[in-house]
Amino acid sequence: MAAPGPVLELSGVHKHFGELEVLRGIDMKISKGDVVCVVGPSGSGKSTLLRCINMLEPPNQGQIILEGKEITGETSADALCDVRQRVGMVFQQFNLFPHKNALENVSVAPVTVLDRSKEEARQHATELLGRVGLSDKLGEYPERLSGGQQQRVAIARALAMDPHVMLFDEVTSALDPELVKEVLDVMRELADEGMTMIVVTHEMSFAREVADHLVFMDEGVIVEQGKPAQVLDNPKEERTRRFLGLVLEH
Amino acid sequence: MDVIVQQFFDLNVMRDNFGLIWDGFQQTLLLSLIAGGLSLVWGLVVALLRQLPGRAAAPIRWLTIAYIDSFRGIPLLLILLLVNGSLGALNGDPLPEWLAVPNWFGEPYQFWYGIFAITLTYGAYMAEVYRAGIEAIPSGQMEAARSLGMSHGQAMRQVVVPQAVRTVIPPLLNDFIALMKDTSLVSFIGFVEVVQAGQDVYQVTYNVSALTLGAIFFLICTIPLARVVDWLIARQQARYQRGGIDGPTPTETTSGPLGGTAGA
Ligand SMILES: Nc1ncnc2c1ncn2[C@@H]1O[C@H](COP(=O)(O)OP(=O)(O)O)[C@@H](O)[C@H]1O
Ligand SMILES: [Mg+2]
Repeated sequence: MAAPGPVLELSGVHKHFGELEVLRGIDMKISKGDVVCVVGPSGSGKSTLLRCINMLEPPNQGQIILEGKEITGETSADALCDVRQRVGMVFQQFNLFPHKNALENVSVAPVTVLDRSKEEARQHATELLGRVGLSDKLGEYPERLSGGQQQRVAIARALAMDPHVMLFDEVTSALDPELVKEVLDVMRELADEGMTMIVVTHEMSFAREVADHLVFMDEGVIVEQGKPAQVLDNPKEERTRRFLGLVLEH
Repeated sequence: MDVIVQQFFDLNVMRDNFGLIWDGFQQTLLLSLIAGGLSLVWGLVVALLRQLPGRAAAPIRWLTIAYIDSFRGIPLLLILLLVNGSLGALNGDPLPEWLAVPNWFGEPYQFWYGIFAITLTYGAYMAEVYRAGIEAIPSGQMEAARSLGMSHGQAMRQVVVPQAVRTVIPPLLNDFIALMKDTSLVSFIGFVEVVQAGQDVYQVTYNVSALTLGAIFFLICTIPLARVVDWLIARQQARYQRGGIDGPTPTETTSGPLGGTAGA
């Protein structure tokens, strides 16, 4: 087998909002099938990093290379849509479409963007909702689903585009504690199936167990990174130690 | 007391002129429905143009803002007189007659001038209502749609507009009620709708009962509409308080051009 290049490569990525420098030079390399967990204090730029990777927020400086092709500097609407098809994203607040039921939430993008037939998209959506354990909720509207169920629909919705990389932005932070596990289980399964994932999370045990690589971010830079066990048990940097001290207490 | 009742509610006057007033009210209804329908569509088009993203679309955004501000700031009667005075003068050169002095579907040109002026004015109002509705949709919706690879237009069409439309139905209905009443202004350019019909009767009988009858026709339409609006708003608020999908109704954003035409 030919050694594949990295699926995703970031070098020197900067992002500022006016005066506020949110990302100050991020370098990352992610291989196919890798699960990278990103941790760090609130406001450190984790969400912005994910939003740069799928170009919801174009970086101001630096390079992002997706599957061998630079996407930064790309401005044509078609190219950006193509990037976003290959990079799925799941949000902290679910952002399900409230006027569509679970099945429609999952099938709407394949029909509109990929020109799939309604029937084909529905079939695929049914399969995906089954995979996340929601076969009995196909016709349910988001309003009537629990947070955990909504987030699983959101994961299925992203998967419906057959993405090559999945971004998760604190997807369990808005959930009641008893609902966290069902979502993490789905993510663990995805990871086992070989999905390339970048997961921003505060769930340290998930990171320790599932991640191939752990990144600690603070103030727009990567402070420390490495194997999860190594970063979590033997942090080299004072800032990492302080942060972990705060989260691991709970 | 009898004199007063007689002046407003003379049943003989009402009965003798019922046909005239009813014919006039049918014209009022036609004006309202056609201009209302066109305003709904035109307002949405303008609102969507105003929301176009990107630097390239900036001139379009500015144009729509200029249009909305202008037509919300000028009395409908003045627009109507501008249309009436200018279109006829442009007949033949540069406009062909069928366009400059339209006589479509058996309705006189004054009818179509009225439709045009009302649509221009109320399209601007309704564009603002749509805009408030679109802007009330959480930005996460657009982001989720874009993150799935949808274009701006696809995201608007599939995700934002269907949600926005639900919340703007009550304020749009309010605007429609105002529009319906404002169709009476078309009488200024010589079109006989219900108010003009009542006034014509008054000038013969020196009794306003025919106008009262016209008022009753209006109320038969507008009171139920107002109740429907209230009911929709109450329902949405109940939903919103339950944490449902409909946000607060952007009812307060426009109040209709009632003030602007009161002195006409
Ligand atoms: N669109 C934006 N405009 C202005 N400031 C923003 C925007 N998005 C994020 N920020 C700011 O950038 C900083 C980092 O935000 P974020 O990436 O959300 O951090 P995290 O996800 O790590 O909590 C915060 O101070 C936030 O207020
Ligand atoms: Mg965040």
